[in-house]
Amino acid sequence: MATETEDTAPTKPAENKCEEADEPGSPTDKEKQLSRKSKSNITLFFHATGNTPILKKRKMIVEATRKIAYVSSFLRRYLRLTAAESLFLYINQAFSPSLDQTIENLFECFGTDGVLNVHYSTSQAWG
Amino acid sequence: MATDREVLRDLWDGKLPVCFVLNDEEVCDLQTPEAFYLMVPRLSYFPLVWDKVRKHFIKHVHADHHDMEMWLDYNGTPLKWHYPIGLLFDLYAYDTQLPWTLTVHFEKFPENILLHCGSREVVESHFMSTLKEADALKHKGQVMNTMQKRDHNQLWLGLQNDKFDQFWSVNKKLMDTSSTDGEFKHIPFRIYCSDEGPFIQKLVKPFTEDSQPKLLQNLIEEIFPDTCKQVCVITHGIELSLDVPLQWMSEHMSYPDNFLHLCIVSNTS
Repeated sequence: MATETEDTAPTKPAENKCEEADEPGSPTDKEKQLSRKSKSNITLFFHATGNTPILKKRKMIVEATRKIAYVSSFLRRYLRLTAAESLFLYINQAFSPSLDQTIENLFECFGTDGVLNVHYSTSQAWG
Repeated sequence: MATDREVLRDLWDGKLPVCFVLNDEEVCDLQTPEAFYLMVPRLSYFPLVWDKVRKHFIKHVHADHHDMEMWLDYNGTPLKWHYPIGLLFDLYAYDTQLPWTLTVHFEKFPENILLHCGSREVVESHFMSTLKEADALKHKGQVMNTMQKRDHNQLWLGLQNDKFDQFWSVNKKLMDTSSTDGEFKHIPFRIYCSDEGPFIQKLVKPFTEDSQPKLLQNLIEEIFPDTCKQVCVITHGIELSLDVPLQWMSEHMSYPDNFLHLCIVSNTS
């Protein structure tokens, strides 16, 4: 998963509004919480797993049409990972999304309480 | 659970004749190498079948490129190795004459379009992740989580070695609905429109609120609420009738990754 394709290394991380955030609500009854109309921006919450450092800024607002590769390269820069280091992203604490999957699709299917929770780890966590 | 076994078997046996040719610009011999023909399973992935293709062409390209990653294009469109072969054909070449002619490249890897695929392990990890995602939609991931590692291996080896019984002896557990009143929580599907762009994936239940089975027509209406034109939906090279129930489709017409991969072509008739 160390490979990256689309949307590599955007040079202006300041565009991503990052804020301090509390622990998001527990993942229950996702369907009722989801807004039915498609959103143009989606809020991501990052959760560190294993020995991976916790981010100071855990919330990120990202355009719905962006791909997971964009989030992955953002996190890699933020965590100052070298090309040789791996970064694994997980949705639902269960699976790694494909790097060309859109944020919109993941939010539609796995969003909770209006946010998409993303777990990240520098070592493999959930198979 | 999947009961119409003949359907499963027929889809599993679906194959496509492919003619591989080396990109002219990369030929370093005086003569262009001969084309390489293969019958490939629709349900498989190109990196699982292209070892022989690489071996055939590698001696005709410049030695500097021998370690490069191979990739394919059809009519100038780079083909994503992580899409099943049958999906790629339905998406880009549905009305093409067979054999399906693909161009083999070793140079100029299209970094912005394709993911890298260094080995079969990369394909395996992509495949298993997609299976887990599908199970998260169907059973909240409970079936994959309770399986043993050797079951996971069997799914992968069954696909890799084209062994129907090996694959389905485990996959039937993922298609099981006996503990959930005969239905999945949601139907894992991806919809592709031929005009490039990413696929569409949403939460869709197999039954309506008053317990009526949803049909393919209902799915299309949920995804494209504003279209009134007729659409033609293709999967496994078959034009689907819009009155097929979603639950049956999911159990019988999903690819081995447990997703329905549906291609939309606008109806010209």
